[in-house]
Amino acid sequence: MRRSRLPWKIAALFALGVYLIGLPIQEAIINRRPEQYRVNAPGSGINLAAISGPTPVLIAALGGFRTVAADLLWLKVDNLWDGGAWYLIPPVMESVVQLDPHFILGWQVYGWHLAYNLNAESVLQTDRRAWLEDGIAVLKRGVALNPKSFEMTFEYAWTLFDRAHDLYRAADAFYYASQQQDAKAYCARMYYRPFEHLLDFDRLWPAMKWAQKQFPDDIPHQKLVARDMDWWRQNWNNKAEHRKQIANENTARQQRAVPFWLYPNDPYWNVCPLCGLPTEKGKPVCENCFAWNFELKQPVRPAQAVR
Amino acid sequence: MTPQIGKLILFVGAMLVAGILVMTRKAWMGALAHGWPSVWRIAKMTVAEARRKRVLQAVVVLVVLIIASLNIVSYLSPVEQARMVKDSGLMSITLFGMLLSIFVGAFMIPHEIESRTIYPILAKPVRRYEFLLGKYLGALIILGVIVAILTVVLVGVLLLQAHVIGVPQAGQPDSKFDAAIPAVIFAAVMSYCALAVLTALIMLISAVSSTTMTVIGAILLWGVGSMQSMLYDLSTKMVGASRFVLWLFYHAVPPLQDFDFRTNVANGIPIDAGAAVQALGAGLLYIIVALLFASLFFENRQV
Repeated sequence: MRRSRLPWKIAALFALGVYLIGLPIQEAIINRRPEQYRVNAPGSGINLAAISGPTPVLIAALGGFRTVAADLLWLKVDNLWDGGAWYLIPPVMESVVQLDPHFILGWQVYGWHLAYNLNAESVLQTDRRAWLEDGIAVLKRGVALNPKSFEMTFEYAWTLFDRAHDLYRAADAFYYASQQQDAKAYCARMYYRPFEHLLDFDRLWPAMKWAQKQFPDDIPHQKLVARDMDWWRQNWNNKAEHRKQIANENTARQQRAVPFWLYPNDPYWNVCPLCGLPTEKGKPVCENCFAWNFELKQPVRPAQAVR
Repeated sequence: MTPQIGKLILFVGAMLVAGILVMTRKAWMGALAHGWPSVWRIAKMTVAEARRKRVLQAVVVLVVLIIASLNIVSYLSPVEQARMVKDSGLMSITLFGMLLSIFVGAFMIPHEIESRTIYPILAKPVRRYEFLLGKYLGALIILGVIVAILTVVLVGVLLLQAHVIGVPQAGQPDSKFDAAIPAVIFAAVMSYCALAVLTALIMLISAVSSTTMTVIGAILLWGVGSMQSMLYDLSTKMVGASRFVLWLFYHAVPPLQDFDFRTNVANGIPIDAGAAVQALGAGLLYIIVALLFASLFFENRQV
């Protein structure tokens, strides 16, 4: 006896209905969970096809265990770090952040390592600039992939501010960081620091007032902003006090310091010819790169012709 | 897909499903009303069989030991350590849950047929779909108990570590060990839901093929289902036949990645409850379709 095909037809129609229901649901899930699906955000520079990790990592990636593979590579980074193999770390870190693009600490350490450590290790200015640009590019990719993380944006802003001295961009990034959920009060305070460095009073006052309106219940924050506002009201035109702050930056790293290049002919400090940063006069060694300024200041003798 | 087209497709699909459910209501309502006792008895029998399997017990003990030994990375900072423990623990639950799901699901029906223990069952007034649903329910209970045990162990490890190193260390005031217990439990529950979908698909494959083919098929399904984001990315970039193949894989295989919230838990990304509800709804529909076809295949199979 031949079996009826009716149940199969009904089941096929039912499956079609379920498939049609599932299509918009899946689309909605993809839009709701960018951290899971939009790994290759436009402009992020991430290319999953170019993951440069060992084979087991790729297998793990294909199995849906990307984060665990990233953890294992992170342990490898730790070992390389302890072994002093600084120049071997960036490719491994690249694999880490490609496998888990939402590993904020991974992005932060990767960008910091390039912009600070490898930058400082380099002798040539071109190398130093290249490492710094690479570090900033890494952090920018991290921000593109984690736009809601204030920690990620803050790290990017801090590198622009502290290392690249790209102060207007840093101010924009600090502002963006302070707008994110769970942002800390220091993000709002850092928003006006770049304008202090630039002595851009047209922007400094509105930025300070804006920062004062943020975190109204945070008493330490309010006190710190009020202290800064008082200081600038009293010293906005006091160049001697500005110089004192510059000297402080080289010693205590106080953040209100005014950049030395605004006062190029100041008699109170020397500019190190090697690192380009100021050191108080009378000190023979650069406080930043520990170069021997006295020797570096010796006039260079013209080369003798070789016959 | 624009929102309007999405709503239209959703409406058409819902109308189709609702129409079929209304037209066949006598059949499925009667089956649900009368078949439940048989389904429950077979489920209990399946659980009792699984309890006797030493391999299952050994694997569970092994995974408990693995999760309990996650203290080995204690030289890292608290933030890194919290991430490692949560991520590795949830990975263990998912990975071994998947293996156990295959082990439990793939061997049930073929083993019953090969050992001929299915004959006395089917000789009784038990329909074949009741047998299949009972086996599926039993597998879900077994997996639920195992996932619950592993989650309790992981939560215990997290609480212990949070108690020991949860206090911010000197020089690292911002580096805290965030155990995030509710998020971890949520991720484990969602992993269990993914296993439920996978087990339904394993039942479908095992209804038509041998044990070996079922194991291979289940691993492939799990692999492809877990890399939906890659398929999605690649299918938008490829052209021609390869794009069509990727598109087919992307739409044919249930997106098990929708149930994966490990990235959120490990990185402290807020969990979107709406996306979880949508994933659960889609998963339930996949389970129903898989079991429907498994029943039809099993009904026509010569045993």
